[in-house]
Amino acid sequence: MKTRFLMQAALIAAVYAVATILTGAISYGFMQVRVAEALTVLPALTPAAIPGLFIGCVIANILGPYGLADMICGSLATLAAAFFSYKLRHRPILVPLPPVIANGIIVGAMLYYVYNVPVSLPVCMGWVALGELISCYVIGYPLLKLLKKHDRLFK
Amino acid sequence: MSIQVRELNYIYSKGLPDQSVALKDVSFEIGDGEFVGIIGHTGSGKSTLLQHLDGLLKPTSGTVVINGTEITAPGVNIMEVRRRTGLVFQYPEYQLFEETVEKDVAFGPANLGLDEEETAERVREAIGLVRMDYDEVRKKSPFDLSGGEKRRIAIAGVIAMKPDVLILDEPTAGLDPKAHKDILEMIEKVHDHENNITILVSHKMDDIARLADKVLVMEDGCLVMNGTPEEIFSQRDKLDSMGLNIPEAALLAAELRERGLPVREGIMTIEQAEEEIASLIGERR
Amino acid sequence: MLRDITLGQYYQGDSWVHRLDPRIKIIATLAFIIELFVVNSFIGFATAFAVLAVVIAVSRVPLRFILRGLKPIFLIILFTFVVNLFMIDGEILVRIGFLTITREGLYTAVFMATRLILLIIGSSILTLATKPISLTDGIESLMKPFSRFGVPAHELAMMMTIALRFIPTLLEETDKIMKAQQARGADFETGNIFKRAKHLIPILVPLFISAFRIAQDMAMAMEARCYRGGEHRTRMHEMKFSGRDAAAVALMAVFLAIIILERIFI
Repeated sequence: MKTRFLMQAALIAAVYAVATILTGAISYGFMQVRVAEALTVLPALTPAAIPGLFIGCVIANILGPYGLADMICGSLATLAAAFFSYKLRHRPILVPLPPVIANGIIVGAMLYYVYNVPVSLPVCMGWVALGELISCYVIGYPLLKLLKKHDRLFK
Repeated sequence: MSIQVRELNYIYSKGLPDQSVALKDVSFEIGDGEFVGIIGHTGSGKSTLLQHLDGLLKPTSGTVVINGTEITAPGVNIMEVRRRTGLVFQYPEYQLFEETVEKDVAFGPANLGLDEEETAERVREAIGLVRMDYDEVRKKSPFDLSGGEKRRIAIAGVIAMKPDVLILDEPTAGLDPKAHKDILEMIEKVHDHENNITILVSHKMDDIARLADKVLVMEDGCLVMNGTPEEIFSQRDKLDSMGLNIPEAALLAAELRERGLPVREGIMTIEQAEEEIASLIGERR
Repeated sequence: MLRDITLGQYYQGDSWVHRLDPRIKIIATLAFIIELFVVNSFIGFATAFAVLAVVIAVSRVPLRFILRGLKPIFLIILFTFVVNLFMIDGEILVRIGFLTITREGLYTAVFMATRLILLIIGSSILTLATKPISLTDGIESLMKPFSRFGVPAHELAMMMTIALRFIPTLLEETDKIMKAQQARGADFETGNIFKRAKHLIPILVPLFISAFRIAQDMAMAMEARCYRGGEHRTRMHEMKFSGRDAAAVALMAVFLAIIILERIFI
């Protein structure tokens, strides 16, 4: 793995973790509107964001008070989403969609089966997906459009 | 336009184990149109003080009054405060983000709620004041500019808000001598043009000596000296004990004086030194 | 503002739990969580509670830190408890207006809540008594067997280590950027979600660009010092198993045995 790629991934992980820490209560609380999730658009700019966001999620869960379940499920969801966002990078409007779906399904399932949140499975998933939708499209999409204009900096 | 700071105190992390006093009973006044220099070591409280003047920090105790408005009072409109005071941080080019130079400089005025026409006018004027060609740079990406240019655009972004008080924290940090000179000339020109209060924080005593009407010296959170450049820089030993230097020209004059030459007091700039030395040599013939 | 954020959960200490090999701790925590789901009676929970109590006592981490971990999910616990309490049908115990509390509801509510609490406390101990860096080493080591399947264990661990190292730097950078944009009139505090979202862009973009710049510089610095990847790299602190770890394994084995017995016989 090229060193530059590794470093880019590492710093993306750091930015994700920082974004999660700073939005503190909203990130780890019941409402899953994480500002950091807006960063899930980054794979459209550089493939280093695929491992980067994954590691960032792992770290955010280490540094935060959630549990091992979150660390595993949330991170894997982020990894899967990042991969698909990368694949969709030529269609910007679709880039924020994979995280919405992946997190909705995986984290929603986690809330239902592990945390036994007593609403139906679809509602759990829908709830998480809604939070992701807000982060990814309301913040993430404009972020992506602007960063794309500077994309020479990221090669 | 005037500023009164009275008994300003600020304590970081009050009540927590790592509590530290950043500002201790700081009081001073700045009059209309003054150019003020603030000097002091890192950790002396300069940055904290600047942030109080812009309403970014609220004091633990004490008041700051800008043009009759006590900005530290509860219920004060913070946006108004930030409108009146423009604060340019160190390495301001790191705050650039927009697609074009034009849009980035417009960020400030737009946040003030100005309409498109007024904003465009402000942007044009500000870019001109920082000595750049408006038509040439306006559509460029800010990241396509050189380091010095980026810095000027960042400063333009603050000037475009037409602040009554312009504060600059080490605006020449990291620049080569020519860029340094250019920025300083630009600051002087802006001050004259806008007729505002300009506060300059710097380690370059030569710059302060040249431009400032008044100098404030900070140490360990306290305001330890307050006077004209001549008054402050003639106290070489006191400044020395705080780890601060005096302007090069003043240093030269002091050294010559120590060797017994009748060099007059109050020399601050190279030009003054040149004049004095030339006249002394002339006399000796 | 940002000075007040304590980074991570780690509580400084020198106890046996702190000094356990991180790999053991990670596996033990995983095992503990899985076992919590095998349990189907309160006897199992009581055993789990006993195990936790022992570990907490040995770790000497103050109780208030442990309980802090429950704060963020307090709402979930409450929500789960209340819904289970009122929504499950069965033998009615209490009637309040049109709401009923059944025996089954009460049992389920308490059961689920208990499991959730034990789960969170178990995870918390891991992060409270293990430095993030140790966790990284542990994860890397546990992932090594998977590198046969193409998982780049070393690189991922390296990313984690470097990311951790730069988090404080980026926090400071964010603080500076926020203040600079606030000085230009950006408002992050008031307004609806759309307005606030818009004003996050002037923070995220410069932050990201700074991060990238750091990445470029770091890559050059590392290569200048002959970094070539994970093979044949040595480390300063080697992870070694010790008697302590054996004791921990023994404890977990006993716990596992009790759980299994409980499951079979109760």
